[in-house]
Amino acid sequence: MSTHRSSLAVLFLLPTFLIVCLFLYYPIGQTFIFSLYDLRFTAELTPERFSGLANYKAVIQNSAFWRSLRFTLYFTVMSILLEFIIGMVMALASFFVVKPLRSLLRIIIIMPWAIPPIIHAALFRWLFNSDVGLFGQLLVNLGIVKEAPLFLFEPVLAANSVVFAYVWKSSAITSIFLMSGLALIPDSLLEAASVDGARSWMRFRYIILPLLIPTIVTTLLFRVIDALRVFDIIYGLTQGTGGTEVLSYFTYQFYFRFNQFGAGSAYAIVTFLMVISISFLYIRRVVGHLQLKGQPT
Amino acid sequence: MTAWRHWFVSLTIVILVSIWSLLPFYWLLVTSFKEAGTEFRLPIEYISSTITLENYRIVIDEPFTIQQSIGNSLLVSTAVMFGTILVSSLSAYAIARLHFRYKVQSLILLQIAGTVPPVVVIYPTFILTRSWGLLGTVYGLILPNIAYNIPLSVWLLTAYFSGLPYELEDAAMTDGFKPFSIYWRIMLPLATPALFSAGIIAFLGSWGEFILALTISLGRPEAQTVPAAVMSFSQQFELQWAWVAAGIVLSVLPVIALTLVFQRFVIRGLTSGAVKY
Repeated sequence: MSTHRSSLAVLFLLPTFLIVCLFLYYPIGQTFIFSLYDLRFTAELTPERFSGLANYKAVIQNSAFWRSLRFTLYFTVMSILLEFIIGMVMALASFFVVKPLRSLLRIIIIMPWAIPPIIHAALFRWLFNSDVGLFGQLLVNLGIVKEAPLFLFEPVLAANSVVFAYVWKSSAITSIFLMSGLALIPDSLLEAASVDGARSWMRFRYIILPLLIPTIVTTLLFRVIDALRVFDIIYGLTQGTGGTEVLSYFTYQFYFRFNQFGAGSAYAIVTFLMVISISFLYIRRVVGHLQLKGQPT
Repeated sequence: MTAWRHWFVSLTIVILVSIWSLLPFYWLLVTSFKEAGTEFRLPIEYISSTITLENYRIVIDEPFTIQQSIGNSLLVSTAVMFGTILVSSLSAYAIARLHFRYKVQSLILLQIAGTVPPVVVIYPTFILTRSWGLLGTVYGLILPNIAYNIPLSVWLLTAYFSGLPYELEDAAMTDGFKPFSIYWRIMLPLATPALFSAGIIAFLGSWGEFILALTISLGRPEAQTVPAAVMSFSQQFELQWAWVAAGIVLSVLPVIALTLVFQRFVIRGLTSGAVKY
């Protein structure tokens, strides 16, 4: 391993690191610095007044922040739970159905993933419309409720409507991940489990599930990261009504609605720290899987 | 289970999953063909009694001109696609095949960057874009979106490169090929399927990117990509949802088509992180 080869590798890595540092690492550093300043109503690069940890103190004392944090955690836990169940059922189904229908079923499963997040949010705002939305009217016509509820405005209901909308889209990707894990399990085991009744549940529980655990852990970590940093669905669906301000949206408002850039940066850093703690677990896991030649020891 | 019963249960499953996955798409399409105004009438029509293409005509006209934002998105996403695969294949090749210190650390550093919440970087990126005079243009979106797509792209290309046989490379080396031409003339052609996956995912990812597109377009139609444009239309014309629906249909058509046609590549690319290579 000569120094000559090392400097060569640097050349190959240079463009990647330049771009990533400029648009990801440098902004994180910049956000951290901003979070130590009292910066508002101005968009100038030069910070106004150094204020130390005052912004962070304000974060801790802000009850709206704690509400937002609590909702973010509720949103994450509920979404992950539901998308895992639905994703798993769909993934198993895609191995269970007769062979000629498999690729059709997979296409149908992947469709919600294909729609861009903010457009998905706009579409669900229409579906949840309290006067003429499809969901409300279906409930009325099926005789489940007398009058379509205010899906996006009533506190508890709004939280669950957001979770429902998010899960509709994210269970597609969860399902695809789980399918890729299931694909590694021998066909004979999967087909044996497709006989209905209690025996198939036992086979799933004691044979397939244990084999699938590595995929499940990776998938869940990846999904938690995505759920914790969710922004688009809230911006497009509720704009925070009914107590649905997730941390990212809460932070965004400090920046672009209240023009409080110092405080906003402090909230951004708090969001960052939450997500990054899960990221480390995830990255350590997936990088451990990759076999690289000539790793320095 | 008899073959007949297996078919019956399978069809039932396909129908149930279709209701779950496709119902919102169905409603979007139906709404887009309703006469504007009738979409707000009670009782709602599950199947429209009249079908019109008027909404589609309206959204390609002023002030929507949805084709303008579709054009912007095509420009940005195509540039991001090529930029991402070029830049990330270089570093993926180095990580997978060259010897150097801090190899694993480089990979980790890039992967961590891929999980950063967009809102954390948005304000400094806004300031950076402004200092380059690119606010209110689509060009400011290209480099940041390349950065957002590099981590996954490097990941799946590294996994692919490290699975390729070493014989060709060794042979090329004895023939006196320089490392760059080994990368360019031997490794890249071999990695075509992975480059394809990475490219499509970068294309779709930048097509859907919203928070930066919203922030640096400054609400100017000529600078809006599809997500920013659709969002501002749907807020502006919330009472003409037939129009909004037609706009959404046109603007998601390219990505839906891409996903359907290249389904295999998309799935392989996305799952390379979850399964062991």
